[in-house]
Amino acid sequence: MAFQPITGPVSSPGSGIFPTLVFVQGNDQRTINLDHTPFTVGRKVDKDLVIADPRVSRDHALITSEDGQFCVVDQGSKHGTFVNGERVQRKTLERNDRVEFGVRDVSYVIFHPHHASSNTAREFLSQISGIQISTDATDLEKLTLFLEAARKLNTTGVLDEILVTLLDATLKLTRAERGYVFMRDEEGKLRLAAGRNSKDEPLLDDTTISHSILDEALKSNSEFVITDTSQSLDLAGRHSIVAYDLRTVICIPLRKPQVQATREAQAPATENSAEVMGALYVDSRFASRDISSVSNDILRAIATEAASLIENARLVQAEEASRRYQQELSIAASIQQRLMAVTIPEVPFATLKGRNLSCKEIGGDFFDAVNTDEGLAVVLADVSGKGVSAALLASTLQGMIYSQLTAGMPLIEIVTAANRFFTHKHIGEKYATLIIARIRRDGELEYVNCGHVPPLLVCNHEVMRPPHGNLPVGLLADATYESDHVSLHAGDRLILVTDGVTEAENARGDFFEDSRLETVAAKSSSLEDIFTAVANFCGGTPLSDDCTVVELVYSG
Amino acid sequence: MNLKIDKRVVDGVAIMSCHGRIMFGEEATVLRDSLKDALKTTPRLVLNLSDVTYIDSGGLGTLVGVYSSARAAGADIKLTGLGQRLRDVLQITKLATVFQVFDTEQEALAALGSGAA
Repeated sequence: MAFQPITGPVSSPGSGIFPTLVFVQGNDQRTINLDHTPFTVGRKVDKDLVIADPRVSRDHALITSEDGQFCVVDQGSKHGTFVNGERVQRKTLERNDRVEFGVRDVSYVIFHPHHASSNTAREFLSQISGIQISTDATDLEKLTLFLEAARKLNTTGVLDEILVTLLDATLKLTRAERGYVFMRDEEGKLRLAAGRNSKDEPLLDDTTISHSILDEALKSNSEFVITDTSQSLDLAGRHSIVAYDLRTVICIPLRKPQVQATREAQAPATENSAEVMGALYVDSRFASRDISSVSNDILRAIATEAASLIENARLVQAEEASRRYQQELSIAASIQQRLMAVTIPEVPFATLKGRNLSCKEIGGDFFDAVNTDEGLAVVLADVSGKGVSAALLASTLQGMIYSQLTAGMPLIEIVTAANRFFTHKHIGEKYATLIIARIRRDGELEYVNCGHVPPLLVCNHEVMRPPHGNLPVGLLADATYESDHVSLHAGDRLILVTDGVTEAENARGDFFEDSRLETVAAKSSSLEDIFTAVANFCGGTPLSDDCTVVELVYSG
Repeated sequence: MNLKIDKRVVDGVAIMSCHGRIMFGEEATVLRDSLKDALKTTPRLVLNLSDVTYIDSGGLGTLVGVYSSARAAGADIKLTGLGQRLRDVLQITKLATVFQVFDTEQEALAALGSGAA
């Protein structure tokens, strides 16, 4: 596998022609292509590799090449040049050699690292973060680095993969035989999320682990629980330990990391009461290794780091899920908008206008118009509530009414069917108020009002409010419906509004009310006048409900 | 939250007094839960709405929902203290015929056969 330099002044990454130098200085690291020789090292600023440390001589060393071999040559430095810890004057370099120039601690160079031979965790680390784990790092350092890197991986990672990687790392560090991660599900029950053995094989069965120890660890306040069965006398009730010959069990509760935002969260009293998300469980059998001597530091590090790792992964997952959900929702919203879009039919005997002023939230208002053999039909409905649920019901209701109108059904049958559908489906306290009006060429108007704001009938600047009405649709299963008939003359207008209009509020909390609506309807000759009057009345107060006004003018 | 509900019991009749707005959402949920809770202890209930300033369509739906399911379960709910607005709404929606509405709490209690009237 070709080495892929991640950071630093990189040329032709992975070309394989030039060897690379990985220069590590404290927490920083960069990769340098050894693309010319002699390659100079020293404190002077004109060196190819400048190490600003007083222990490095100004002209410290060179890297030269002879017959395809690379050689480090000390230039008479004060503090010496070292290869793999041995002071040298001149030395041919092998891959993975650690070269130190005067400084023996914070900075060093790895010559042409051989990543194909590195173990998985290190390889993984180098790939994602460019961090080089030195071979003599302690286990704890390795773990910290590993988890740090894995956290970066989180941004693209999936929880399951992270759990498996975590288990592999934990098994390596503890040298245990088997490892499991349990996570709480929505009901709080522990569910096996991942299992691995030390041969990197998946374990899907958790029946042979000690569930009693697992439960104990979750109830305890400690960071981890080590049970060495060779020291424990009371094994009654611990079936798995006896049956499967378990020697050592380590169980680490995974507690949700505390948000360090408030003082309370930092208080030690709350530290242990943090929510337990799950548990990390490793064990070994009698016949195999003893893991009871695993360093407490390592276990403590695993406990805290693993929890935040999982929490981060979960947050990423939740974010992704929410992003998808938002996307779905916006698709649904655009479909809803297209469904609600009305093409007003042109008929010679009447003109129809409709206008909707939406408040911020998605509402349940809809308006529809269909021209049929029975006349021009208009529907105005207001589904109770707001938001997605209201929009969903509005679409369903619209579809039902539309199809039945085009089928030429009587109005009463249409609303009765809609009521039956809504109440039968037990949608739960959701209902709609609606008016369906159908005008024939000869001016005969039939309409059915189901709990809706009564229509305004304007004849010669005189406003009438017919008292006819029925129960809303979807409230009571046994509701019966009746319709009303009016004969219109040329110039008569029928105005339908939703309660968003009559209940439009001004800053004082007054409603626009029927009286104001009737006044403006009598005076005006257009739909716009009604909206202007509402806007003037409300002043700057935003609408709390959709306002829809539909006007049907019979021209004869 | 714009709704507060007080409950007192007179002669085995739960009297629930609502204060504030009955709206779709939180308020409607509180109303539904309180009424359901009260109906667990007594089947006779008076709902006093005299201090309700506003009831929206969703709130009305909840009221009808609880009312009809309580009636179906054999409970008896009387309404009292309806303001002009609520009367108008019940008139428009023709729900006035569904609810049993009384002008005063005493009349509602009397209709429930309570000795306190």
